[in-house]
Amino acid sequence: MTLELQATPEEVMRAVDALRSFAHQYGIDDKAIFGLTVALEECAANIVDHTFQRNAQQKFRVGFAMNGESIAVELRDRGPQFDPTSIPARNRSEDETGGWGMQIVRRYTDELRYRRDGGENILTLKKKVLPANSPK
Amino acid sequence: MALDIQILKNVAARNANAVTVKLGGSLDTATAPELERQLSPHLAGTVNDIVFDLANLKFISSAGLRIFGNARKIAKSRGGQASFINMQPQIQEVFEIMKSLPGIAVFENIDELDKYLAARQHAHEA
Repeated sequence: MTLELQATPEEVMRAVDALRSFAHQYGIDDKAIFGLTVALEECAANIVDHTFQRNAQQKFRVGFAMNGESIAVELRDRGPQFDPTSIPARNRSEDETGGWGMQIVRRYTDELRYRRDGGENILTLKKKVLPANSPK
Repeated sequence: MALDIQILKNVAARNANAVTVKLGGSLDTATAPELERQLSPHLAGTVNDIVFDLANLKFISSAGLRIFGNARKIAKSRGGQASFINMQPQIQEVFEIMKSLPGIAVFENIDELDKYLAARQHAHEA
């Protein structure tokens, strides 16, 4: 399933809602869905806020796929080359009021990969899930 | 999912510079600006104790943490703190990332917070 989205925060949340429905269909537990949707929100918001500076004329794509026991989320944009996986984990400081996005993404995904291909930034998030209705 | 925001001033008259912010729904990249807008007149004043009641919050991302972080910074600079009550387990998990910052206190519920504030008041008077 692939969505084409405008670079706005509302569209980010449209992708989040779509992922939630997609994962529900496979009976994935709420805890895993929560983590995945938060991770998608962070990555898509990065594209909207940083790559495209909230220019609603710009577009990006989000796709979901279920592969065996893991769910994959792929984000593609044609913005300037940017590898969010290269963002280092920040040191804690007194004055810290942000920079937590990628920490959250790492916490909730099992695999996070970036590649630049054909003028696109391609970010793939994977998370192992056990569908709730599958035998344990 | 929308964000429900309710800002109550000076509940139970604990502290004239206290506000309680009740949040429900989704605090995300799309809804965070509205919270920021509603909070800013309070933060611009003399508020130094901010209580976030997250009982009905279902979703949070770093856009929300950023607002909490900013509120914490302002409250702390005025000798107060940002307190958080009634966090659902999933919200608590995201929150862990900033939990250890100074000026942040997490309480199970309002009773626990009240006990803490009463003890703090007592320590001030002693």
